[in-house]
Formats: sequence, C-alpha cells, structure tokens
Amino acid sequence: MSYFRIFLAFLRVNIYGETAYRINFIIQLFQSLLNLGMTLGGLAIIFTYTNLLGGWQPNEVLALVGVYFLIGGIIRLIIQPGMEQLIESVRDGTLDFRLTKPADAQAIVSLQRVEIWEILEIILGLGVLIYALVKLGEIIGVLQAAEFVLMLTAGGVIIYSFFLILSTLSFWFVRVENILVIFQSVYEAGRWPVSLYPGWLRYGLTFIIPVAFATTIPAEALTSRLNWQTLVGAIALSIVLFIVSRIFWKTGLKRYSGASA
Amino acid sequence: MSKEKHNPMAYAIHVRDLSKFYVVSQQETGTKAAFQNLVHRRKTEVRAVDGISFDIEPGEIVGFLGPNGAGKTTTLKMLSGLLHPTSGELSVLGYVPSKREAVFLRQITLVMGQRNQLVWDIPAELTFELNQVIYRIPRDSYRSMVTELTELLDLGSLLKKPVRNLSLGERMKCEIAAALLHRPGVVFLDEPTIGLDVTMQQRIRTFIAEYNQRSGATVLLTSHYMADVAALCKRVLVIHHGKLLFDGELSGLLQQFTSHKTIIIQLDNCKANLSNYGEVKSYEDGRYTLRVPKAETARVTERLLAELPVIDLLVEEPPIEEVIARVFAQEEK
Repeated sequence: MSYFRIFLAFLRVNIYGETAYRINFIIQLFQSLLNLGMTLGGLAIIFTYTNLLGGWQPNEVLALVGVYFLIGGIIRLIIQPGMEQLIESVRDGTLDFRLTKPADAQAIVSLQRVEIWEILEIILGLGVLIYALVKLGEIIGVLQAAEFVLMLTAGGVIIYSFFLILSTLSFWFVRVENILVIFQSVYEAGRWPVSLYPGWLRYGLTFIIPVAFATTIPAEALTSRLNWQTLVGAIALSIVLFIVSRIFWKTGLKRYSGASA
Repeated sequence: MSKEKHNPMAYAIHVRDLSKFYVVSQQETGTKAAFQNLVHRRKTEVRAVDGISFDIEPGEIVGFLGPNGAGKTTTLKMLSGLLHPTSGELSVLGYVPSKREAVFLRQITLVMGQRNQLVWDIPAELTFELNQVIYRIPRDSYRSMVTELTELLDLGSLLKKPVRNLSLGERMKCEIAAALLHRPGVVFLDEPTIGLDVTMQQRIRTFIAEYNQRSGATVLLTSHYMADVAALCKRVLVIHHGKLLFDGELSGLLQQFTSHKTIIIQLDNCKANLSNYGEVKSYEDGRYTLRVPKAETARVTERLLAELPVIDLLVEEPPIEEVIARVFAQEEK
C-alpha cells in the first residue's frame, strides 16, 4: 500500500514534468500511429501471399500485434524508464539519494520514472486486440480471460526481471545503456508468433531474451493454443527470474557500496 | 571497556579505527595500453580512510576539514550507510549505518553540494511531497515543517518554480529544505556552500546554526571554505591522506599548528632596520609587518615599544587558511 502511494507520488512528479514538454505528446502519437501502420501494412502484404503464418490465422496474428503493442507500451511506460535512470544514477552518483531513503531501494528505483505518453501505445494495443477478437468471433470465456491476464502478468514480471538484471550490470561496468537498446530491437521480433522462427531462434527468443513470454504466450491464451505446461512454466519462470533479479540487485548494491571488495 | 567514561551508544556518532580501502584499476593512456587495459588492468589499493577514530555528542556541530581527496566524503558516505567500511567500528545513533535499516535512515539526512535530489523540470514542492510520502511524514508535521523552513530559508515563491529556473543558491536552499522535511536528528552536509556567492554562503551558514539550535540535531559538515567552519563549528576534525591529524577546538588548532605570530607596527615617520627583531614580511608607508616566533612575541613587542617611536602596534594570529595549508604541506614532506 505504501509503495502504491510512492508510485502515485512519482507519477505526479512525472506527469508534471511531461506537461512542460507538450510537444512530446504529439511526437509520441505520431510515432505510435506510424509504428502501428507499418506493422499492419506489413501484415496485410504478407497475408496476400499466405493464409497462415507459423500456424496462425490473420486475425490471430492481429491479436498478437495488439498484445505486442500493449506489452511494448507497458515496458516503455514504466519498466524501461526507471532502469535507464538507474543506469544514469549509478554513473552520476545520484543513486545515493535513493539509497538513503527509508524504503526499499529496488522499489523506488523501479517506480521512479513513468513515460506517461506511452499510455497511447497501450491504448492502441488494446484497441487492436479487441478489434481482432471481435473479428475472430471467438467467445472469450472467463477461464481464457483469466489465463490471458495471468500470462500477461507473468510476461510483465519476466520482462521486468530481465531488464533489472541487465541494468544492474551497470554496478560492474558503468556504461551499459546500449544493452537496453539491444533489447528494444530484439523485442521487435515479438510481433510475429515465435513458431514462425527456426528452432534455435525460437529457443533464443523464449529463454535467452524472453520475448516469447511477453507476446506470443499471452496471445496463445486468447487463441486457445495455450497448454497447461506452458502456463505453469511461464508462472514458474516469472517467479524464478524475479528472485534471480533480486539477487543481482543485492549483489550489485554490495559492489556499489564496496562491501564485496 | 567498562572503564570508559562514555558508553558508545550515548554518542550521536561513534567511530573507531575506521578504514576504507579501494582497489582501483589504473588506466594508462595510449592505444596499445588501451587494448592492454581491456584484457588486464593493473590494480592498486587506495587508502581513502585509514584508521580514524572520533566521537560526536548529540547536538554538536562539527566541521570536517581536509583538501580534496583527503577522505571527507568517503567518511560521510560510510556514516550515512552508502559505503561499507573495510574495517573498524561505526555507529550512528546506535545503528550500524551499512545495514541501512529504515529506522536509521528515517533519522539521518545527507546533503551533497555537488549533486541534486530535486527533479530538474518540476517545482521543488513536488519533490517535497514525494519525500513526504517516502518518509511517511504525517500531514500536519509536514505542513508545519514546510512553513518553518520557508520562513528560515526565505523560500517564498521558490518552491513553486521549476527547479531549472532557480539560481544555484536558490536551488541549494531548496535542496537543504528537501533534506530536512523529516526532521532528521543527524545531518551530514558535504560541501553545502560550494560555488555559492558570499551572501548566500552566509545565509546557509546562519540557517544551519539556527536549525541546530532549534532541533538539537547533530551536524557534521565538510567544507572547502574556512569561513563556514569558523562561523559554525567550535570543534573541527582535520583529515589528510585518510588520517585524522587534529580533533579539537578551532582555537586549539591554531595553537597547535602555528609557530609564528604576525606583528604589525606603524612607526612615526621614520625608516628603521627591523630585521634584528624578526622577519620583515612587508613595508608600506611606515607600516611594517613582522613575523616572529610565537614564544618570543612578548619580548619582541616589549623591545619594539621601548626602542622605536611606535604609533600603533597589532599582534595577529596568522589567517586560518594559512595555518591549515601549512599543516597539509608539512604532511606532504
């Protein structure tokens, strides 16, 4: 509860900071629409040649694109900005102000920045997702919806933990911003079903850079593809990665404070 | 241990044989060396703080003096829990800082003159409210503290302006206020007046004294400016190359480290050779400045008055900056 209040306080700070640069809203809107347009255009072209993409029908892929935008928006709304600032603050020393606060420093660091205009990307993603589901004409049961939300949450936790692990590398190597940029490029692979890719790449996108968990698997829940093994696996992986990322954070802090030397 | 007059817990800050060594990799310049650095770095140990001990009573204002790289900031960081000591004993208000317990962090604060916690694009007021939430300050207590700080620091409308529009001095005042909202009992100030003009330095100094008086908080302050320390601190700690050179009253520092005094005399319209009284430092319009060994000051003064047509005579301690500079210079040798 108190961390929710901390989040709201940070949110207020960020919203105020953003309104000073109203132009960002326009830029973000333009960028999101362009990105969506390119993706949908690409999709339209591909489906003039084939009716099935990695075993997915056009409207199913559209639902996946919706999930891709939704999760991408969440990443750039709350996950990535805080991590970027973490890396920055390790370098310029302002992390000291976070560490002298009487609250969990990981929570503060994770909540400290919100790029509010990314909400547009989330809204667009939801819009595409709902449109695709309507076109599919499939009736989404309570169980399926619950599975979807569960997989979306697991995917979010997996991506967050993954980002945190990458960002804590800054405690050892100081300059690691580029790692987050690499993730961004790899994430783009998530707009297609991972079943489309050859085995080694599918494996990489699932377990090395866990993009599949963020996009394909939640979309599978909506298109009746999800089996219980994947469901349990995703939940287990999210818990394990979260714990591992916490260990990375603690070890990194020890390094920062010179406790490990 | 039981023979000690004070229980370490009774001190606000208790430090024994505190050390902090860093291992740093040396980077050599040049292309070839740059590639070698990628593979293998030469490591050297730096003794930032090397076995210092001191105790600070609750409510004291203590100045921490030393040149750049002396170990002041490293010590403050250890005291505020940011750095783990390599060895030694350390307690602040009875807590071990490096554990960073919330109860401990709630009672301390750290202000760094060279770094900002205020968010650049927004008014300081919003960062204040953020701190209110993080420190869980009750609303009434928060409001009265903001009112009090606004009055003491003359913040006025500054809190409503985006921080980027404030001058350096205004920003520092807001930084200090943001750091004190939770009424900390121990305040660490690292170069709080750096880069500020004289008026603003004075303003901040007055405030620190006033805050200490009102709240009874313990204050440990580092500064480059001797005036800060002279105005605020009865007691100073002098640190150099990680070692504590002096711990005591400011006047004692002068006593201990000055070997000479300065005698300034004005003679009635005559030129005299004063070199057999002491070292003549300057001469100007009948005004001589002499440097004499401290022990001989009285005797020389007596002789001057008896043997020369003296209009005016003044005995001065050398400026404190000079004394400190000499202390550090001696250490270099």
